[in-house]
Amino acid sequence: MTKRFRWLAALLAIVLFAAACGDDTNDSGEAADESGDAGDNGEAVDQTQGGDLTFHMITHSDDGPFWSVVKRGAEAAADALGVTLVWMPGNNDPGQMVTDIETAIGEGSDGIAASLPSPDQLVGPLQQAVAEGIPVYTLNSGANDYQAIGATTHIGQSEDVAGRGAGLRFNELGATKVLCGRQEQSNVGLEERCSGLKETFDGEVIDEFVGLDADQTEQINGIKAVLEANPDIDGFLGVGPVIAMSGLQAAQDLGIDLVIGGFDMTPELLGAIEAGDIAFTVDQQQYLQGYLPVVLMFLEATNLNQAGGGLPVLTGPGFVTPENAAGVLALSEAGTR
Amino acid sequence: MTTAAEASTGSNGSEETHDERLAYRGIFQRVLVRPEIGAVIAAVGVWVFFWAVAEPFGRASGAASILDVAASPLGIMAVAVAMLMIGGEFDLSSGAATGALGIVTILLVRDVSGEMAGAGFSLWVALPLSLAIALALGWFNGTMVNRTSLPSFIVTLGSFFVLKGAKLGFSKLIVEQIQVGTLDDLADYAETTGASDKGYGFLNTLFAAEWDRRSHIWEARDNIYLLGTFLGLALVIIGVFELHHRRAERGIPAGYAGAGLGLVSVLFGINTLHSTDSVSGNWTGSLLILAGMTVGLIGLSAARYHPLSDRSLALPTGAVTSFGLGVVALAGSIIAAAMIDSQNSENISWLGLVTVQGGRAILFVSLAGAALVLFLIGVNRARRSSIAGGGLLLAVTALSVAGTAFFVRAESQTPKFRTQAFSFMLMAAAIMLVWAIASMLFERRSSTGHERTGLALVGSGFVLALVGLGARLLYVTQSELDAGITKTGYSVRILWFAGFTAVCTWVLTRTRFGSWTYAVGGNKQASRQVGVPANRTKVQLFMLVSFAAWLVGVLLAFRLNTIQASTGDGEEFEYIIAAVVGGTALTGGYGSTLGAAIGAFIMAMSVQGIPSARWNSDWRFLFIGTILLLAAIGNNYIRGKAEAAR
Repeated sequence: MTKRFRWLAALLAIVLFAAACGDDTNDSGEAADESGDAGDNGEAVDQTQGGDLTFHMITHSDDGPFWSVVKRGAEAAADALGVTLVWMPGNNDPGQMVTDIETAIGEGSDGIAASLPSPDQLVGPLQQAVAEGIPVYTLNSGANDYQAIGATTHIGQSEDVAGRGAGLRFNELGATKVLCGRQEQSNVGLEERCSGLKETFDGEVIDEFVGLDADQTEQINGIKAVLEANPDIDGFLGVGPVIAMSGLQAAQDLGIDLVIGGFDMTPELLGAIEAGDIAFTVDQQQYLQGYLPVVLMFLEATNLNQAGGGLPVLTGPGFVTPENAAGVLALSEAGTR
Repeated sequence: MTTAAEASTGSNGSEETHDERLAYRGIFQRVLVRPEIGAVIAAVGVWVFFWAVAEPFGRASGAASILDVAASPLGIMAVAVAMLMIGGEFDLSSGAATGALGIVTILLVRDVSGEMAGAGFSLWVALPLSLAIALALGWFNGTMVNRTSLPSFIVTLGSFFVLKGAKLGFSKLIVEQIQVGTLDDLADYAETTGASDKGYGFLNTLFAAEWDRRSHIWEARDNIYLLGTFLGLALVIIGVFELHHRRAERGIPAGYAGAGLGLVSVLFGINTLHSTDSVSGNWTGSLLILAGMTVGLIGLSAARYHPLSDRSLALPTGAVTSFGLGVVALAGSIIAAAMIDSQNSENISWLGLVTVQGGRAILFVSLAGAALVLFLIGVNRARRSSIAGGGLLLAVTALSVAGTAFFVRAESQTPKFRTQAFSFMLMAAAIMLVWAIASMLFERRSSTGHERTGLALVGSGFVLALVGLGARLLYVTQSELDAGITKTGYSVRILWFAGFTAVCTWVLTRTRFGSWTYAVGGNKQASRQVGVPANRTKVQLFMLVSFAAWLVGVLLAFRLNTIQASTGDGEEFEYIIAAVVGGTALTGGYGSTLGAAIGAFIMAMSVQGIPSARWNSDWRFLFIGTILLLAAIGNNYIRGKAEAAR
């Protein structure tokens, strides 16, 4: 019995190991497909042969569809400027990010751009980098903390501003009462999107959690229940790509016309926008979150420029509408949107 | 023909054997020890509560949404998971498996090289292939649990993470997205190229067809609804009377005439109640129904049942206490409803919980409900020492329900309360009153046997009521259509859910495999010693769960066309909760698939009721948690009581 058990345990270990390896090869294979570099996590990629500047981009990236666009932006900028970029994805592990920041300081980096998913752990190491005289920029998340760090500026989208942009859109499209549907409870970013909408939208906003993305059946029916309880709702903002599609499905199930807006992009959502079923989606244009920090770090290092004037540099909101959906869809397939 | 047999056991008074295992258990006791009974009562309670406080809840569209949420993925999975839990095991990978098998199905159909969809497998190949993968997954889980003797909690937690990782990894590896789609490309492809749609059209009907209520007009619908539900209810009551009372050797034949007279009176009453809306018409109608039911059922009883021999009216203090508390709660509910300004009930906002029908309704329904429960507890306590005393208290309860009905009618601002709640409460009061009178006049049964008539009556009553309810939910009338109602679609998923539940219930209660399931869940070692193939049974149960996950995955794929990598992650706890709310024990060996299905309904009603009532969604999980806790406690309490009484 024990012998058999050991044998099985070994088998399980092999399976798990293989799965882990499969994931790795997946990552690097993807990277190779995309940009032709052979770099893996944390390896310096000399893109230019002659560049003597080295910049570190340390993010909580999981190399998912969102972050791979950021990465492509950063690589394109490094390529264009002839500098070396070190891409260090933390995979949502702040501990890893702290190590990476310390490594970058130790290597005498010419500029560090970092995202701040959990400021408490990351502000300290980045302040140390500033003390060492390294220019620091924050990107994606960190709008509230870049000043405390002493970073030059923050490059990202303010969720609040994105929500306000959506509110103006709904005004233009003639909606009078909008349901702001959230797919998570107590997620600050999503709630800021809804509160931004409330600030600029002229009509009434109902802000509700309607069900997780993991159970779309419940999400669709949750939206239906709110729509039925409030028959005067004529607009729906889903603060994610999946929930926006759920809103469309709910409207179709009830046979009613809604002005629907979404956040971020999936091919399915872009298809629905192209078909005219969904009016728009808010795009935070994350390619800029990769591209701009490299350019700004280059200019600070070579020309002592400091962009932003102490305020953050916003990369969004951009909007994808039926007019530009086809173009964005093509660019999204190319991996830059 | 039955009298000879009954005379031998009934009339000679003293029964020869007093083996307590063979002691006669009354019809109510037998119903109460069913594992799903707590869930049924909780479901009715949750329904009544939300019906009262949420305006769209009683509509057909609300019912369609509840059925949709309850059916798939939740219901189908809850039923399968309940069977596995009865067999003593858990499957924490069942949630992730639903998404994984949907993704596998789409990937098998989708063209992997990224050209046009349709170059992949045909659906006729893809579905059996993904089913085979599903069954292999179940076999793997079951075999690992058997071979390692580790708790299934640990083993399937491992498979959960493997599936979760595999879903994301493979989705991104193959389609470079965190979601996989789209299945309806098959239809587009067939349309543009004229090629075969590879089974999509037929299977889409099978898995995702919808019954659009608005395109099914039936003018006679309301008549069928009224007739079906009323006759159904009447048959159930008569059947329960038949099952509950002792047959007389020689009844009073004139009673049958009374029964006929009562029926005529009730029919007239219903007609009056539904054809007029005047105050006097309502009074006449209600009184006709009440009188008809009393005369009819008492007449029937006089013709068939044995008169009560012990008519003492001693009430124990326990009964009086609980009855007194009930009176306090009822008075509280009436004072609360009368005090709160009825004109401004919509403005009662507490912690952002604005409801359409106001806080008044919540307060009133909760207090009145508590009063009813306390009354019934009192009746039950009284019945133990004196049947006639219990009957008396029940009659008082019935009268107070009727009084409350008229109070509601006079005070409520909502048409729903004034008409539907009023007639429903009056009907319930009438049934209780007749029951109370009958229990003071006629003898209960003390032996089983000759139950076929009663069971047939109850069964056909339920069928009739279902037909009536179905007509009401599935069809519209022209006048409704002209008034402009929203679209209501019933999905074929509901039928899959009903079918799956029926098959599982049959397997669990009527086959050898079902008995084995209970046996291995109760005590694996003991079951093996009496010859149950315990390991095989467990593996098959795991395979049943993964079959259900496959079915849900396919239903999701046809419904959404695109499935995300995160689909189903973490949902496995909802399946387990639904099963537990439905009366399945966490320890194995006890439970019911029907209960799990009802548990899924309770959860769906809780989830849908909160936005329907326009409550702030921030409080959602607090409410769902409370409702589930109450349902589980009530379930446990009722089961404990019933088993103690056994």
